[in-house]
Amino acid sequence: MAVPIKGNVTNNNSTPGGNFRNQAHNQNVGSGGLIVAQFCMSNSVSYSSATYGGVAMTQLYQINRSGLGQRMAFFYLENPPTGSNTLRVNFSGSQWNPLSTHIRSFTNSGGIGNSLRSGGSATPHNASLTVSDDSLIMMTSCSINAITSQQIPTGTNQSYTQHNTNRQVATGAISSNAGHSAGSIPLRATATFGNLSLDRTEILGISAPVDTGNADFFMIL
Amino acid sequence: MGYYVISKIELEGSDSLKSTDVGYTSDVDIVNEINEAYDASLGLFLGENRTKLELRLVSVSSFFSETPYVNEARTEVDEIEGLSLSEINNVNEL
Repeated sequence: MAVPIKGNVTNNNSTPGGNFRNQAHNQNVGSGGLIVAQFCMSNSVSYSSATYGGVAMTQLYQINRSGLGQRMAFFYLENPPTGSNTLRVNFSGSQWNPLSTHIRSFTNSGGIGNSLRSGGSATPHNASLTVSDDSLIMMTSCSINAITSQQIPTGTNQSYTQHNTNRQVATGAISSNAGHSAGSIPLRATATFGNLSLDRTEILGISAPVDTGNADFFMIL
Repeated sequence: MGYYVISKIELEGSDSLKSTDVGYTSDVDIVNEINEAYDASLGLFLGENRTKLELRLVSVSSFFSETPYVNEARTEVDEIEGLSLSEINNVNEL
């Protein structure tokens, strides 16, 4: 395996004011392409679908955090169109509250691995995710109060973007470039006070070509 | 994140918002000026009428009857290459 290579990032925190939102994003060129999108918004409407460059994305999860009044979702697309394209997310009705959007590109990725979600729990919220060798972990949290850290693994603060959807959202936290060794990775999210959620998703590395030792050779004499 | 994309927000149809990217900046002062103007206008309208908008008791078109468009700078990107946007050095260029 080889660690996924992080590519371009786009963050937005605008009010859609309609039943969809378009966001331009520039997908990097390279083998093992992957684009992921994390969303959070008021649960007054739900996510119905997403496309990138007109190609349907796969919904990994959509979860209604009723205690927070928020709906969080994760969509992805392997081998997406490269260059600048529109990522469109559709809703079941018009959304008049702010939407948190985080879009990240990868190359050298083997796709999406394990993913787990934990609802609101008192700060510090501890969790874990079992990953394969050379994987990265993406993490996001939502809370009524300001979020103060996203730790991947526990004890290592990763940078993130704080959005306001009428709740506080931490989005975009990701493992360091070196990736993880296979096993259970401890994770921690903290807020100034009270409960916060902790969702985490594994980004797989790409499988290296396997040398079987049985390659055929042709010799021209 | 290194750049902020500036978007033009206007009415689409009778009751939706349309967002069009019109430029970019890395100047936080320009970003703050744009977003403060948005918050004091459309942002204020949306905040005061959110429930009524959801219940369709108010239309966002009532805001745009007096204001043709507003700008917003709440998209952040780490790479501006490839997005085909011009740099904005002064809000008067918008």
